[in-house]
Amino acid sequence: MSSFALAWRNLVRQKRRSFLMIAVVTFGFAAFALAGGFIAQSFEGLREGTIKSVGDLQIVDRRAVGKAEEATLEYGLPDARRARALAGADPDVAAVLPRIDFVGLMTTGAKSVPFLGVGVDPGPEAAATLVPELIVSGKYLSGDGGDGVVLGTGLAAALNVKPGDRVTMMATTPDGSLNALDGIVTGLADVRIKELNDRYVAAGVGLVSRLLQSGDTVSKLVVFLKPGANEDRAAERLAKAMAAGGYPIVVRHWRELATFYEQVKLLYIGIFGFVGAVLVVIVILSAAIVMTMAVTERTREIGTLRAIGTRPSGIRTMFLAEGVVIALAGCVAGTVLALVVRAALNASGIMLPPPPGATHGMPINVKLYPLAYGAGILAMVLTMAIASYFPARRAARLPIVEALAHV
Amino acid sequence: MTAATGGPLVEARGLSRSYRLGESVVPAVRDVSLSIAPGEFVALRGPSGSGKTTLLNLLGLLDRPDEGTVRVEGRDGEALTEEERSDLRRDRFGFVFQTFNLIPVLSAEENVAYPMALAGASAARRQERARELLAAVGLSVKLAVRPDLLSGGQRQRVAIARALANAPSIVFADEPTANLDSHTAEEILDLMRRLNAERGVAFLFATHDALVVSRARRVVTLHDGAIASDAAS
Ligand SMILES: Nc1ncnc2c1ncn2[C@@H]1O[C@H](COP(=O)(O)OP(=O)(O)O)[C@@H](O)[C@H]1O
Ligand SMILES: [Mg+2]
Repeated sequence: MSSFALAWRNLVRQKRRSFLMIAVVTFGFAAFALAGGFIAQSFEGLREGTIKSVGDLQIVDRRAVGKAEEATLEYGLPDARRARALAGADPDVAAVLPRIDFVGLMTTGAKSVPFLGVGVDPGPEAAATLVPELIVSGKYLSGDGGDGVVLGTGLAAALNVKPGDRVTMMATTPDGSLNALDGIVTGLADVRIKELNDRYVAAGVGLVSRLLQSGDTVSKLVVFLKPGANEDRAAERLAKAMAAGGYPIVVRHWRELATFYEQVKLLYIGIFGFVGAVLVVIVILSAAIVMTMAVTERTREIGTLRAIGTRPSGIRTMFLAEGVVIALAGCVAGTVLALVVRAALNASGIMLPPPPGATHGMPINVKLYPLAYGAGILAMVLTMAIASYFPARRAARLPIVEALAHV
Repeated sequence: MTAATGGPLVEARGLSRSYRLGESVVPAVRDVSLSIAPGEFVALRGPSGSGKTTLLNLLGLLDRPDEGTVRVEGRDGEALTEEERSDLRRDRFGFVFQTFNLIPVLSAEENVAYPMALAGASAARRQERARELLAAVGLSVKLAVRPDLLSGGQRQRVAIARALANAPSIVFADEPTANLDSHTAEEILDLMRRLNAERGVAFLFATHDALVVSRARRVVTLHDGAIASDAAS
């Protein structure tokens, strides 16, 4: 008879107590698996969303890193058509999007509001990023953008404009003179972050270049990779190809660009770690009580087993095995519970609050993360083993004569 | 067992053991020297509190003396680690208790097989020998029954079969008949006598039951923790 079979029989003998302990592990495991899955899923969503806004990689002038430009396009990439072709030649690159970052003042005559502008190539921009999906009225830019501009809903409200209205943009050119140009509002976008929504302007690179009188220079190139591409290796090749083409650039990864991604990740890990620690403490405390009761109740049995030749380590193994069997039984029941809860949540249509930095929530959709379940089993088995260890050690160290005389 | 040819099986020299009760010290066994030869059938007699259990525990390597030595087949019990003493009890000793002390979650057959599993016997070997021993104690029909469904006499038979599982050289029995009615007690005694004769295994009983004493071939009498007499009967 194996230690586990014996452990199982001893657990069955104490039905009520074993059931309660297994129930504790079941709920602990289910909470762990569901929370773990939810957080893994949140990371994945956050990562995808982040990449959709900043790209997998960005190609920028070396001098632009960590420094603010004193003049618009001070550290721009000249001859952008050639730069795009160079980057686009890489086999892992799916799209190269030019971007021109600029600031200015938007006016309707009656009112002027400062804005944060971005010059884009509307076709690839629409294909690769989320912004076109955020249009709440009117349309996104089409073709090369023409005279069209897209405004954040907050900015549009401040200026009291709607699609079809004419607006005037004023901006400082790289050589320091002031220039103004008219645009036609094609659509309004809700870009989810309030501060940005009040300032957001997008226009075709053509219109922006005319406003800034900046020729074929862009602020940066945003690179999207093909699915499954190796980000690090693609970045290395791009850096080499661009350097060979005479561009003094660096290739930046999405992770460096989205500083808030790491912060949110830390926040989630902190919450998850706290919940996990509370669960572990609850399981350890209740298991330690249950195992101590078992040892006390079976003191004479322990004395008998020791007398007839069981080594101290054998006694320890016996009680540790009981803890592990409880853990495994709880994990089996917990898996069933987690799957049922997951199905119920997904069918419920409950709306989740928006993640940090966003304005929209989403209906709950808990994905199945086998890794969270695997980690849950490991955590529960370890927890029960730790909780059983001290009672088991006490049992192994009982003086035989005292244990036999125990009533 | 090739060692100790003709030598004693268990030999105690100058054993003393006392218990601390608060401030006072209660001497339970005082300077006892005793030697048991292979195949003996010995009763350890004395009134309640005379130190029988304490002495049996010392001889069975369940406890350690304050003074003196216990040698088992020539080996000094004090020089052994807990693990070595466990293994020695498993391989050379059997134990029978007043309260039977079977493992409640195991069937009769599994209880008997348990010490063999500790010794690493194969499943087939364990089953074969457990059945043979249960047949020898007259319980062939109770193999799969758990202890709580057995009578006192039947439980003690299972316990005796378990004590013999690894073919020990001696069985220690502390008041083995005290929880049985006199008729059953007699049956159990006859069984142990028979096993002693057939298998050559030595028995040492602690008892104050006159019936048990009358069946012994040698009677050691304890008084206040010391040997008052040691005689063949
Ligand atoms: N655990 C113990 N603590 C204190 N005193 C004990 C303990 N065990 C036995 N004694 C004392 O030791 C003496 C011998 O006890 P014991 O060996 O049980 O005798 P017997 O088995 O002959 O009745 C008695 O006086 C008893 O009270
Ligand atoms: Mg006694």
